[in-house]
Amino acid sequence: MSNPLADMEKPDVIFCIGTNMTECHPVAATRLKRALAAGARMIVADPRRIRLAEIADLYLPIRVGSDVALLLAMAHVIEREGLVDQDFVAERTEGFAAFRDHVRAFTPEWAAAICGVPAADIEQAAIWYASAERGAIYYTLGITEHICGVDNVQSLSNLVLMTGHIGREGTGINPMRGQNNIQGAGDCGALPNNYPGFQPVDDPRNQEKFSKLWGREISAERGPTKVTALAGAGDRFRAFLIAGENTVVSDPDRAHCEHALRSLDHLVVIDIFPTETAMLADVVLPATSWAETDGVCTNTERRVQRLRAAVPPIGMAKPDWWIIAQLAKRLGFAGFDWTGPDQVFNELCSVSPIYAGLDWDRIDRGEYQWPVPSRDHPGTPILHEGSFPRGRGLFKQVTLRDPAEVVDADYPVWLTTGRRLESYHTRTQTGRAAGIDYLLPEEVLEVHPDDVAAWRLVDGEKARMSSPRGSVTIRIKATRRSPRGTVFCSFSFDDTPVNLLTGSGYDPITQTAELKVCPVRIEAI
Amino acid sequence: MALATDDQILARYRDAEAPLLPLLHAFHERDHCLTSSALRAVATALRIPLADLWGTVSFYHHFAREGETRSAPRICTGPICSLRGAHERVAAMAGEGATAMPCSGRCDQPIPALVGDRSMTFAGSRLVPAPRSPLPAPNPGGLEECVFAGIRAPDRGTMAGYLASGGGRGLERARGLEPAALLDELEAAGLAGRGGAGFPTARKWRAVREAAGEAKVVVCNADEGEPGCFKDRALMDHDPLALIEGMAIAALATGATLGFIYLRYEYPETLDVLDRALTEARAAGMIGGAFEIHLRRGAGAYICGEETSLLNSLEGKHPFPRNRPPFPVTHGYRDRPTAVNNVETLCSVAPILARGAAWYRGLGLGGQAGTKVISLSGDVLRPGNYEVPLGFPLARLIHDWAGGLPAGRTLQAVTMAGLSGGFLGAEDVAEVTLDEPSIRARGSFLGAGGIMVFDSSRDMVAVAREAMAFFAHESCGKCFPCRIGSQRLTERLGFESGPTDQVEWRREIDEIARTMKATSACGLGIAAPLVAESLIRLFPGAVTEKFQEREAR
Amino acid sequence: MSTTEGPTIELDGEVVAYEPGETLYQIATRARREVPTLCYDPRLEAFGGCRLCVVEVEGIRNPVASCTTQATPGMKVRSSTPALEGHRRTILELVASENRQIEVDPLSGHSSGEFAALARRYELRPGRFAGRKSGASRHDDDNPFILRDYDQCISCYRCVRVCAEREGDYAISVVNRGFATQISTEFGGLLKDSACTFCGQCVQTCPTGALADRKALRAVDLPEPIAKTRSVCTYCGVGCSVDIVTKGERVVGVQPAMDGPANLGALCIKGQFAFDFVQHDDRLKTPLVRRDGELVPASWDEALDRAAAGFRAVVDQHGPEALYAIASGRAPHEASYALQKLMRAGWGLNHIDNCSRA
Repeated sequence: MSNPLADMEKPDVIFCIGTNMTECHPVAATRLKRALAAGARMIVADPRRIRLAEIADLYLPIRVGSDVALLLAMAHVIEREGLVDQDFVAERTEGFAAFRDHVRAFTPEWAAAICGVPAADIEQAAIWYASAERGAIYYTLGITEHICGVDNVQSLSNLVLMTGHIGREGTGINPMRGQNNIQGAGDCGALPNNYPGFQPVDDPRNQEKFSKLWGREISAERGPTKVTALAGAGDRFRAFLIAGENTVVSDPDRAHCEHALRSLDHLVVIDIFPTETAMLADVVLPATSWAETDGVCTNTERRVQRLRAAVPPIGMAKPDWWIIAQLAKRLGFAGFDWTGPDQVFNELCSVSPIYAGLDWDRIDRGEYQWPVPSRDHPGTPILHEGSFPRGRGLFKQVTLRDPAEVVDADYPVWLTTGRRLESYHTRTQTGRAAGIDYLLPEEVLEVHPDDVAAWRLVDGEKARMSSPRGSVTIRIKATRRSPRGTVFCSFSFDDTPVNLLTGSGYDPITQTAELKVCPVRIEAI
Repeated sequence: MALATDDQILARYRDAEAPLLPLLHAFHERDHCLTSSALRAVATALRIPLADLWGTVSFYHHFAREGETRSAPRICTGPICSLRGAHERVAAMAGEGATAMPCSGRCDQPIPALVGDRSMTFAGSRLVPAPRSPLPAPNPGGLEECVFAGIRAPDRGTMAGYLASGGGRGLERARGLEPAALLDELEAAGLAGRGGAGFPTARKWRAVREAAGEAKVVVCNADEGEPGCFKDRALMDHDPLALIEGMAIAALATGATLGFIYLRYEYPETLDVLDRALTEARAAGMIGGAFEIHLRRGAGAYICGEETSLLNSLEGKHPFPRNRPPFPVTHGYRDRPTAVNNVETLCSVAPILARGAAWYRGLGLGGQAGTKVISLSGDVLRPGNYEVPLGFPLARLIHDWAGGLPAGRTLQAVTMAGLSGGFLGAEDVAEVTLDEPSIRARGSFLGAGGIMVFDSSRDMVAVAREAMAFFAHESCGKCFPCRIGSQRLTERLGFESGPTDQVEWRREIDEIARTMKATSACGLGIAAPLVAESLIRLFPGAVTEKFQEREAR
Repeated sequence: MSTTEGPTIELDGEVVAYEPGETLYQIATRARREVPTLCYDPRLEAFGGCRLCVVEVEGIRNPVASCTTQATPGMKVRSSTPALEGHRRTILELVASENRQIEVDPLSGHSSGEFAALARRYELRPGRFAGRKSGASRHDDDNPFILRDYDQCISCYRCVRVCAEREGDYAISVVNRGFATQISTEFGGLLKDSACTFCGQCVQTCPTGALADRKALRAVDLPEPIAKTRSVCTYCGVGCSVDIVTKGERVVGVQPAMDGPANLGALCIKGQFAFDFVQHDDRLKTPLVRRDGELVPASWDEALDRAAAGFRAVVDQHGPEALYAIASGRAPHEASYALQKLMRAGWGLNHIDNCSRA
């Protein structure tokens, strides 16, 4: 997030797109609700009439995968109505003239036909957002889990640059991170393109620095992404070390994924449960879990916070860092002689400029948001106050692309997937919490009541849903939360493995899977 | 005629000012109760959380819930009606779904009941339509009146009759005055609030005028819920245009553009009278244009007579009193500067403007300015509304004007301020004059001016218990001392629970009363203990008798 | 504390500075006066319901609720007098008179001991003001998370207010009035049929245990003392601060940290109630190695040796480029840092990613 969570109570116009925040980030959503109670206006764009849509002042029920069209048209309206923040554009950005010419073709009427929402509502959204004193954008995987995920984010970025809603309290462009330490995994350099602290591996200065630091030549080439690696498993890639991910269930195209992992020569899994993925491994190493582990995590607003162990580890479980260090030592590698998590974290701080001002003791109360470049630095709640990482913000001329697969006669229904309040991801944790079943005993497919009738389905009965990659049976739930022609379910339940169906395509840059769009066929059984 | 559809009802009010109560009443009238589907429709239309709406609706006594009907008789069990056997009437009609309702403001009449939107009364054991509310009797002392001066004129309720009998001249004069001069005139008259609090009207209006913010608001508090008070009903039923003229003058003085009359549920006929009068006033240019008045109907909650509860009720919120400051004069209806005034106060304004401050001030006795309408009921020969000069001896009102007590009876006690002033005994009554200084010196207050008379045959402990049960019934539930204290006092006065030792019993009452008076959040809880305290002070023997009876059992 | 600049009040004879807009309660608390209250939660709009926090202000006849009264310059305030203490005790005794019990198990919720603490402080006389009780417990609500024991409810409405003002769910409200007041969902139904999202905020602000944490109360009979450990929730990326509640070596519950920077006392159903996985029987308790096609328990040494040997074999045959590591967005920094260092410092490769692409 460019801005802190506390800022979510401060915008006068909120634009949420592709985020089911009340279910996926419920505590963050409480702040938006408080902003609304204090008089803010909210625009929500989402294919589904989610809770956020119900409390919005303006709801744009866009067709799945049509975000770019909506956002281009909003840019068109902002430009046409003279609502561009000219000073901001002049001082902080580049490429506006070309962008302005680019968006002139993309009228609200053009977008309306694609998105399936009235042109007047698109205009209203653009005018509200651009006229705001403090406009803020919030998004989640509904933006990124598309083959055009990068285009979607850049389209949002264009709106921000046009209006200057960035670098100030209550504004910004704010992705909500989905896992407790997904931000931290990136911070720590668990990325194929970055060393810790987002230092690019292909920058020779970084290569030199880390090669020297760690006493061996490190490749200056970006590594393959997980998607590439899984695609080459058993072929180019022969051994995997997977730490704490139930890849088989969480990733798209489950059959392909399971096959890939089975075809490895060697699979080592570190986890807290015997997950579907762990069951495929040659060696399974038991890690300590939350409440048993001392450590550090970074939240979605870049706040670096301490995790503390409250109980001793179960059985013989050990902390991940200990397991990896032991493995490294057995492989004959130097630099893994840590005796506690504090040493690991302090080493991270010493190599990561954004953590340079931090250490184990200083984060005790969690008041720092990175970057914290030095010990006398108070942290950085708001990013991009004076400039952007690249200097000037660059307008990108994005164009609309269709999803990897579009509905046709064989697969006439849009499936979009997501999460539910009561369950988390693949339910390895929430599925083992007493009581959750009371509210969410099984997965259901949300279908508009008129579609239930038109497709000759029965509310409450099971049906078969198929894509070119596979099929699942799932119970039908009639609800107006789904629009006509679009259905929804989560991928949480192992007995409705909906990721057998997904995996139609990936964003070419980030290789994020298009989990939000998958044409399917639904038949009564 | 076909019943209105949900959409028609919603369309009529959803964009109106203060839409919740009229919407609820429209559904309540159509369906005879508030169905869950109606509540869902209203919640969606007004974007009120359903649970909040459910809670708010349940706060009001008169909304029939699903499975009940608003057409089931509600029989008044106010203090005077209780003496006449109202509880027995309720029990006798239980088969017809009859329920009790708190004092419904007809204490000078036979026991009233409400059936749907009709005021009824008993003919034998049957309910028949009640006659119109009585016109105040000509002033028995022949004294000059203010609010009753024109009320007996023929056709006073119509614009023609109103103008013919001197109405309209106050507004005419006010229109020629600068607001400052208008306020000076009222100040010179010494007019103070006649709803009970006695706050100087000119000061209130000046504060509204000077408060920051446009779109000021004038609210007439016509939620006459105090047991033993029925004066505002008489004023509105027989002189509605005087009220409207007063509000129009208030708008000139304060700069208000929006007005409300918040009328208690139990006056359905008055609702029609006011509605017609507002139409006439609009047609005649008395209101409309720069100042519009909306009529809103309450739904049965004594606390809504408290001005901040009333404002919350108008706004569709849970009708708890608000914390003050800020006061309504700066943050009233929807946080706009708001003057909330009682009916009688507003009715006094036009005559004052028409005849001058000095005239009004001179109506009072012994240094007191102006007049006060007293609603007198109970054990007197001629109950009714009497406009007395402030400072007038209470004994003269009871014994001379109202004909005294029935033959053979002697006066045991009166209540003051309706009910919340507690009791005065016969000695007090003999000495007191009708003005705040005199009455407050005896530990009570004049308030809204309801006085109920109890002769020596009455069981004052039972009367006190009924009174306390009323306060407990009407306690809003916001503050602890009132919510629990009023309940515990009721239980103690009824000897349902609490100490069996009289000394300990009195100590508990004393402690509860002291804490309620000192710490309650609004006037209800502060005043309620007066009933218990004055009972113990004035009638210790009656209390002791109860203990003896109890021991004998 | 500066007394020369900015406005001041006189509190119990002492000159105390304050920020404009501060209430008497805030000032008094800052000046270490122990003003009692039951309806106050600093995160909520002051309500003024319990009246325990009343203080005397010179020139005002009745005591005023300090939580709703803003200071004005020169105000002379007394926070504790025999009269005030008497009123406070009377109010507390009235409250006690309508509840089933005063002491409740602290597992009930974060604030559940507030009333009992005041009852002890004011040495309430048992049986005082006895009478009817107002509560109507919802024993029919079979949800596994929130106990609705309204026999213990004191109508402070902190639950209703936190649900509206902090959570924004408006799932519950105040129905009826006066002594008949109850806390209810719309139409009086079960929580699961209402707008409730089981975030638990109502439980955690309840000062009497009327709303209580049913899951934590499962551990009521464990003999060990309760301990709390400050940590961060394990679920989404918001990073809510929590106190992990333990008895001995058992995790028995989670409570939100009221001062957590990301959450200010809020949690959601997952963070609040989905903690049992930690000590679930399904946990991996030993290393496992595949032997004859089956995963079987092994010692750490054996498992680590097998793991290392497997990597070495692949490197020997295909080179280190055939290796790949996937880090977790669920594990702490130390895990991700160690894993990327293994790949880079060990084999010189950037063959590492995390699960953010799925």
